[in-house]
Amino acid sequence: MAAAVLGRDPDPPRLTADDGVLLDAISGVILDVSPHLIIVETDDGDEERLVIAPWATAWRGGTATPADLPVGSRVIIRALRSGKVVDRIWADITRMTGIIRSVSGRTDLAVELDCGPHRGVRSIVIPYRSSGRVRVRYPKLEPGYLFDAIGVIRDDVPLAQVPATSQPAYRAGAVPPPPAAYGGVQSKISGTAVWSDFTDRGAAYAMLERSDSGCEDAGVSCAGLPYLALGSMLYVRNVCAGRATALPVVACGCMAGRFCDRCVECGTSPRGRIVELSATSYVELGGDLTKGCFNARVGLT
Amino acid sequence: MSETIAAAAQPILVFMFVLGGVAKLASVGSEAEPGALGRLGPAVLVPERFRSPAMIFCGLAEFGLAAGLVLFDHPIPRWMTVAFFAVSTYVLWDLRRRRPDVGCGCFGEVSARPVGLRSIGRTVVLTAMAVMIALHDTSGLPELSWTFAAWCGGGVLLLMILSPEIEESFARLRYRAPCEQRSFPAERAFSRLRSSAAWRTHYPSLRSEEPSDTWRELCWRFYAFDGADGSDVVFAVYLSGRRPPVRVAIVGADGRQAPLQESIHVSASH
Repeated sequence: MAAAVLGRDPDPPRLTADDGVLLDAISGVILDVSPHLIIVETDDGDEERLVIAPWATAWRGGTATPADLPVGSRVIIRALRSGKVVDRIWADITRMTGIIRSVSGRTDLAVELDCGPHRGVRSIVIPYRSSGRVRVRYPKLEPGYLFDAIGVIRDDVPLAQVPATSQPAYRAGAVPPPPAAYGGVQSKISGTAVWSDFTDRGAAYAMLERSDSGCEDAGVSCAGLPYLALGSMLYVRNVCAGRATALPVVACGCMAGRFCDRCVECGTSPRGRIVELSATSYVELGGDLTKGCFNARVGLT
Repeated sequence: MSETIAAAAQPILVFMFVLGGVAKLASVGSEAEPGALGRLGPAVLVPERFRSPAMIFCGLAEFGLAAGLVLFDHPIPRWMTVAFFAVSTYVLWDLRRRRPDVGCGCFGEVSARPVGLRSIGRTVVLTAMAVMIALHDTSGLPELSWTFAAWCGGGVLLLMILSPEIEESFARLRYRAPCEQRSFPAERAFSRLRSSAAWRTHYPSLRSEEPSDTWRELCWRFYAFDGADGSDVVFAVYLSGRRPPVRVAIVGADGRQAPLQESIHVSASH
């Protein structure tokens, strides 16, 4: 409708890659796996049979061989050749982003996170063996501060494995204001693109009007983003991998807007998370889930 | 008398050319969001890779015409100026019809406000000034007199009234943030919609006064209403300025937009 009223092109551009190799992302549960073949039940309920490339690697809390992944694991697969050849698998991976509500425990730390009004409260565990790696990046593991880590789900318990970023020095309620903008048009939006666990293809975006999105924490961002709506089409480009696609805004990214970090995947990005992609969209754009971010440039289609 | 008007018009045109050229080149150089340049003026009508060169060419052409008017006593630069403004008037009119969301780009970033009758009126006035200069073969530096100063002041005042950029500049001084980043209550935008001509035209075809959906994107707030014939009537209100532009489109019950010409024509005529 917006395209109709303003005379824009209603057909968004499709996935493009500078090197010509398009990536597919498949999300599902392993039904069977052998050294050369993996059978997955996708989120749509379809059964997919994929060939495992000889160079393919897997991740499940650490590097693993694809054939060693247990049946029943939830996987996200980066696939080549129209989604038929497995290039990389992430099994039982999860991302824990939120505001720390409480921390308890002496060896294994149990942390309660407030993941925003639409994602609710989540209990995670920082196991003793990875607590050093996490705490060196999160020196203030105290209520009110932001937390972001990547881990695995074992027996329905999310275990933090690697920190996804360094801890912001401010409390979650004291997000620094965006840099002053004097331009008449929106200046170039470059920054960090991160991923989150949601399954809809698309992106979560921080700068939504609270009255439209029903998200009372929306509208906070330290990247100087323009206001958009749920359903707006964003043109997201992975600057590191040279891949771009058009994605709809499907959720409120109120938590992503509170992080003012930079991504150093290839060069240093400007400050601030501009989009939080679904895991499959992130993989399609060439991102590595264990790294947690890529340098992105975003425009409107 | 008319010679004095032509003499007064000449420095105004030269000043406008220099200002427009500098602003255009500056906005090409600024790191605009991918696609933002496309929202600035007729460059949107050319393919994306030619947009920056088109802006640069336009800016340089303005410098060339300014130099031609001051330095050369010859009809060619004068009639080229007439042609430039006449073509600009047509292009702006066409731009308003084809892409109602883009600004005229006349002064770079400040001209991001959608093209309205004021912007088009300004190019008409400038075309008239250029014609006066061409007819009277005005050239070189003018002689200063009180009548000259009065005409010059009057011309400047007329152009300022016709320039939406003045309001945008004030808004920027007040808010220090582009319109896309400013919060704007939905109720205020709705009251602006209800006082617009587009609303009065389409009001009889609405089934209800309450919108079925509303959302905001950049500097526009959209309101979708159920139409009486099962179609959707979508209004877009620009969220800057006292009397903001309002656009409207009718989207058919099958999800298809009513023919663009028809829907845009309705809005463009108000």
